[in-house]
Amino acid sequence: MTDPAAVQWWCSALGATWNWEWQPYPGVWLFMLLFAAAYWWLARRLTAGADTTRTPWRTVAAVAGVICLWLTLDWPVGKLGAGYLASVHAFQFVMLAMIIPPLLLFGIRPQAVARLAARPRLVRVISVLTVPFPSMIVFTIVMVATHVPSVVDGLMVSQLGSFGLDMAWFLSGLSFWWSLLVPVPARPRFVPLLRIVYLFFGTLAHLFIAMWLLISRYPVYATYELAPPFTGLSPLDDQQVAGGVMLALGSTFILLSVTIVFFRWLGVGAERDEPTAPDGFATR
Amino acid sequence: MPYSLFQRMARWAFVPRRRIDRLTLAVAATAGTVILAGCGSPSPALATDASGYHGTMLPAPVEKPAVVLTRMDGTPYDLRAETDGYLTLLFFGYTNCPDVCPVHMAGISAVMAQMTFDETRRMKVVFVTIDPERDTPEKLGPWLAQFDQRFIALTGDSATLHDAQTELGVTPAVKDTTATGATGYAMAHAAQVYAFTSDNLAHMVYPFGTRQKDWADDLPRLVNERWGADSTVAVNAAAMGSPSTSASPGVLR
Repeated sequence: MTDPAAVQWWCSALGATWNWEWQPYPGVWLFMLLFAAAYWWLARRLTAGADTTRTPWRTVAAVAGVICLWLTLDWPVGKLGAGYLASVHAFQFVMLAMIIPPLLLFGIRPQAVARLAARPRLVRVISVLTVPFPSMIVFTIVMVATHVPSVVDGLMVSQLGSFGLDMAWFLSGLSFWWSLLVPVPARPRFVPLLRIVYLFFGTLAHLFIAMWLLISRYPVYATYELAPPFTGLSPLDDQQVAGGVMLALGSTFILLSVTIVFFRWLGVGAERDEPTAPDGFATR
Repeated sequence: MPYSLFQRMARWAFVPRRRIDRLTLAVAATAGTVILAGCGSPSPALATDASGYHGTMLPAPVEKPAVVLTRMDGTPYDLRAETDGYLTLLFFGYTNCPDVCPVHMAGISAVMAQMTFDETRRMKVVFVTIDPERDTPEKLGPWLAQFDQRFIALTGDSATLHDAQTELGVTPAVKDTTATGATGYAMAHAAQVYAFTSDNLAHMVYPFGTRQKDWADDLPRLVNERWGADSTVAVNAAAMGSPSTSASPGVLR
């Protein structure tokens, strides 16, 4: 365990009594700074000179994604999730793997995507990292592996381990959701039925994990079971709330996504801000 | 529609072999690193020894302290007489304890809630305060009852509490004024629960870090096993006792 008095660069389980005293996490700030800069470049610079007046929702999604990412990683959510409450840990998982990536990806304007085609190297990297079937497998493996009790208990006690866990969720989430929201040049269109199938199978594991947390007779994670209590929730109650958060928040979001895909398939609410596709690939 | 649905699926599902190999390697390496990193770290769960118990075997069984403590209603409580023949879990703690005491009590309580009535009626959980100044009956009683109404809260004068801990072989609790906070001061005290079986001897202790599933495995066995001169468990326990497997009686939290 790290000295509770020492400044941490990333939230991890300390085993110290919880207090509401604000703590700085420089690693979170640095990550957010670098990420926001890269995202700004991708979302904005590539659209320089393009008509972006018809994409207000994409701006909202982009800003919401960045803000949610910061709030999920920084104090107090980050600290609570790292070492005190399994329910907050589950909330972080749902946010980092299932809600923030689609928000950020939706925030990338079609004009920026169209101009990506002019950067073959970048396109090649993105293309390899977002191949749907492997992305789905990676997403599932990461989801399952990062909920194994010995993995969670082993990683959460160190800042590097906790950072690795957060990044594994976030990056695998980006890879998984990319295929659904951002087209990749020279790749066939992802037809709606395939999108629904992809969403269903890609997020199936989270249902089983949520159910497992809900029906376990005893707390499965030592990190949260042995953490100094500071709420009226018992460790088992907290774990059941965690399962509930995954089911309620995660499943609702998935269901919403499937519904959107379905109705767009039917032609209802089709996106109107697509640019013409001079380079031959569609943007949805 | 340039492709049939199956053609599309095939193109999506199968990427060039060279690319798959790289991706597979990357995935396997990432997953392997994550799993190995987790498994390589010490797990807080207690290991099971040859007896099958998760508790730490004592080098030699320990007798119950021969002390008369005080119930919350002020009546005397002869520890040996009142708990004779019961599985007795004895713990010294205090209500301002931020971690060890509530975690132990919550764990035992959660497991007892899953045990049968016949099992729980043959056991007693005794919580002795080591901070009688602050743990008044008005405070200690309700605090302990929030975990389980059956738990027995006891107090006593400083000399009696000191003797009880010394008889067990633990370092008597002391005030830790360096750890001041909203509660004023902390108490450095033994962090383990002593499990006295039906032969009125403690063969093992449960340190901080004992999980609920460890209690769930051990408590029914501790209640139901025969303990005493003819007990194979007791013989095995005594035979296994060694300095390397014994709990440090002076662990302070």
